[in-house]
Amino acid sequence: MLTTLIVIAVIVAVVLFVIVGAYNRLVALDQRADQSFADIDVQLKQRQDLIPNLVETVKGYATHERATLDAVTQARAAAAGATSVNDKVQAENMLTASLGRLFAVAEAYPDLKANTNYLELQRELSDIENKLAAARRFFNNAVGEFNAVRRQFPTVLFAGMVGFGADKPFFDVGEGDRAAMTAAAPKVSFTA
Amino acid sequence: MGAVGLQTHIWANNTRSILLLAGFPVLMVCIIYGVQLILMGFGFLPGTGRGLGDDMALAATWLGGTIPTALVIAAIWFAMSYFGSQTMIDLMTGARKVERKSEPELYNLLENLAISRGLRTPTLRIVDSDSLNAYATGLHEGQYSVTVTRGLVNTLSRDELEAVLAHELTHVINKDVRTMVIASIFAGIISVIAELVFRGLMYSSGGSRRDDNRNALPLVLIGLAFAVIGYALAIVIRMMLSRTREYVADAGAVELTKNPDAMISALRKIEGRSSLKGPDELQQMFLDNQPDGRGLEGLFASHPPIQERIDALVKFGGGRDPGPWNGEAYAPEPSPWDTSVPAAG
Repeated sequence: MLTTLIVIAVIVAVVLFVIVGAYNRLVALDQRADQSFADIDVQLKQRQDLIPNLVETVKGYATHERATLDAVTQARAAAAGATSVNDKVQAENMLTASLGRLFAVAEAYPDLKANTNYLELQRELSDIENKLAAARRFFNNAVGEFNAVRRQFPTVLFAGMVGFGADKPFFDVGEGDRAAMTAAAPKVSFTA
Repeated sequence: MGAVGLQTHIWANNTRSILLLAGFPVLMVCIIYGVQLILMGFGFLPGTGRGLGDDMALAATWLGGTIPTALVIAAIWFAMSYFGSQTMIDLMTGARKVERKSEPELYNLLENLAISRGLRTPTLRIVDSDSLNAYATGLHEGQYSVTVTRGLVNTLSRDELEAVLAHELTHVINKDVRTMVIASIFAGIISVIAELVFRGLMYSSGGSRRDDNRNALPLVLIGLAFAVIGYALAIVIRMMLSRTREYVADAGAVELTKNPDAMISALRKIEGRSSLKGPDELQQMFLDNQPDGRGLEGLFASHPPIQERIDALVKFGGGRDPGPWNGEAYAPEPSPWDTSVPAAG
């Protein structure tokens, strides 16, 4: 009788230990993903702060590009107003695309291209874009890890009960970026 | 549980390190027990006069006294290295302290990383050497120091240098210097005991004995087996521990910089160019340290091969491996917007 009780107690203790351990791992990974999203946010905010400057500078030279400039301003306003992760991802992809168009348009204005202020802004934005790419990659990695651990056995059995019932969303690249990537994919041919 | 990403990779290696570290006391018990058996076999310690099993049981009861003694010796040894190691290391490598004024860019990189983790900025040192290497030293707060070679500063790009500094800073954050000092002290004590045993055996082979033990041969052979296995395992465990700490530091560098590619290309650049002289304890803390010879180096190397470290970063950190470095610059990142936008600057 006593032995049975001890065996049951040991089994319960082991199960509890596994559950607590798995839960703590999930909490740590969840926290880590949220934290790395904050790192993306910092870069996004910095980018938004630079854009009014850029628009003003371009306005002084490229007076006929009102539509492009307005698109950038609107995209920035949308990005600044976005709150949820999905909205942010969409708004920021719009902003990236409109910035790309703005820089393409600017190619036609030699005076603008020689402006030191413009060059400095372009350099800073390019730097932020690189950091953003790194932060996004890290975030997606953290999200992927959280999702994978959440779905592992035996965690998956109780993850839903403790508030980790759903996968975290990734920070997706925009449709335009994806199309560009597909187009630029290297072609491999084995025929001579 | 298997690693599926950077954090689980770090967890897995940390668990491994704890298990490895726990192996040292076990090994020490084994080797002390082995020594006792040998001494009993030669008659320096009194046996029971009965069977082999009784003699071995008697030797086991002595462990209650010998193990605390060994631990006290370990503690004294640790205290000595705790207070003396930094000075010794500085004297041996010729590293000199640099201030913000003389190396502003390098210093700022390190300071920014330290601030992001709420650490006091470690002392920055430079060794005037053309080889590409770096190491962290210091056993307690205020003593922490990160050292890089001049060659490293000259060869690596800003991002790569940041990754290397982050790797060393992770060693500091994880207190790996202390872990490795503890490991080397245990390994040191075990190898001293083993050496005494082997020398003692050589000299005493023709000497006189106080009283003969009936089980002399089996006792000596069993004791010798314990001593040899304990000695070999101590070295292997020490090196395995060092290798797991390197994986954690690589992963930690990605955590800090968010850039697995920079860590990978930094490793590619130091590959085969990292040879730097230093005492054993210090070489374990090097950014890279490959044994000169080939063969069993997998077991006795303090660092994993560069390729395996890169593979881990690709697998768990989502990095991209540009392939071995040929001395020229790697292709720059493509412009984030359009191909029509020229690279700024």
